[in-house]
Amino acid sequence: MSEPMNTQSNLPSQQDAISAALSLYPARPFAVSDIGSQTGWLKAAGHDPRNLYVSGPMGLATSVALGLAAVRPESQVLAIAGDGALAMNLTSLATIAGAKPKNLAILLVDNRIYEFTNSVPTPTRDLDWLAVGRAFFGEACVRLSELTAERWAGVARPAMIVADVAPAPGKPPALGLTPAMIRAEFLGASRKQALLVR
Amino acid sequence: MADMPSKGDRLFRSIQAAKPQLVTGVPDGMLSQTIMLCEATPDFPYIGCAREEECIGVASGAAMAGERAIVMVQNAGLLNSLGAFATMGLRYGLPFVVIVTNRGALADPNGYDIEKREAFDAGVRPMARVFDFDAADLPDDLIPAAFKWAEAARKPVILALEKRLGSGEGAAA
Repeated sequence: MSEPMNTQSNLPSQQDAISAALSLYPARPFAVSDIGSQTGWLKAAGHDPRNLYVSGPMGLATSVALGLAAVRPESQVLAIAGDGALAMNLTSLATIAGAKPKNLAILLVDNRIYEFTNSVPTPTRDLDWLAVGRAFFGEACVRLSELTAERWAGVARPAMIVADVAPAPGKPPALGLTPAMIRAEFLGASRKQALLVR
Repeated sequence: MADMPSKGDRLFRSIQAAKPQLVTGVPDGMLSQTIMLCEATPDFPYIGCAREEECIGVASGAAMAGERAIVMVQNAGLLNSLGAFATMGLRYGLPFVVIVTNRGALADPNGYDIEKREAFDAGVRPMARVFDFDAADLPDDLIPAAFKWAEAARKPVILALEKRLGSGEGAAA
């Protein structure tokens, strides 16, 4: 079982959890965030051309990240999904486990509510996400709170990081980017990265 | 005389000619041979997804990186994925190619396919460019031409393959 709701005041914010996960990598990975909270908090954690802010249906970030990982096999990719979002695309975990990308990890930020509603609980609020992740990725599903950069370097991919986070008191800052801006900036970063590894 | 390539092999060769960096899909009987060939080739990865909406996401991830990606699904699967198609493919202007088996044609009248086809006509055609083809008689340059169109139009394109009356045995399965 996850921690009960009444102990969540000691949990990190979603923004801090995203920053902590990104800092586990020796070089900045591509970060693919789900629509809404994850996109807002990823931008708040630090805008980077390698951020891919997904505007698709909730939960699609894991699938978008899989496609990106497949065409950029020399680069690390981190998909960032909320618990409500990932529950909408849970089958993507099966697909990723089957595809076995050696450069893809998923960060699950679990605040047990749909954040944009401020209060409505997710149907997965009592789910043991670590056990779910381990069903697909075995020991490569780990808690963020137990990770160091050294330990993360030794975790096989595909991997999943489970982070219990506190619900935010407010919505994340607005993205302030159009789809055309997101695409152009990310395309540039992706092509630059491809050239660097050749 | 050399053996004539099968329909699945012909589609596969056209896919190969377009030099995609990624192909993804969920099987339909009409696509099974092509998918097996895609699985076996070292030319590009084939990602078999559990659900069709994932395929749109996978193709979008590749296309966001500037690479050619192909989706292969049945019409019912694309109908399940219209939200992703609109909010990724159309919103970001991603030039990926979607190959759809458009079941429920006059030559393909399974009872369970009829409404899929009607929903495809009502739901997909108003929002995206669909080009229709006889699955038994595909042009060799189909997929390269589809990419050229999508890249010029800066949006995804849908190729609807169907069984047609009077075209030999029609598509398998």
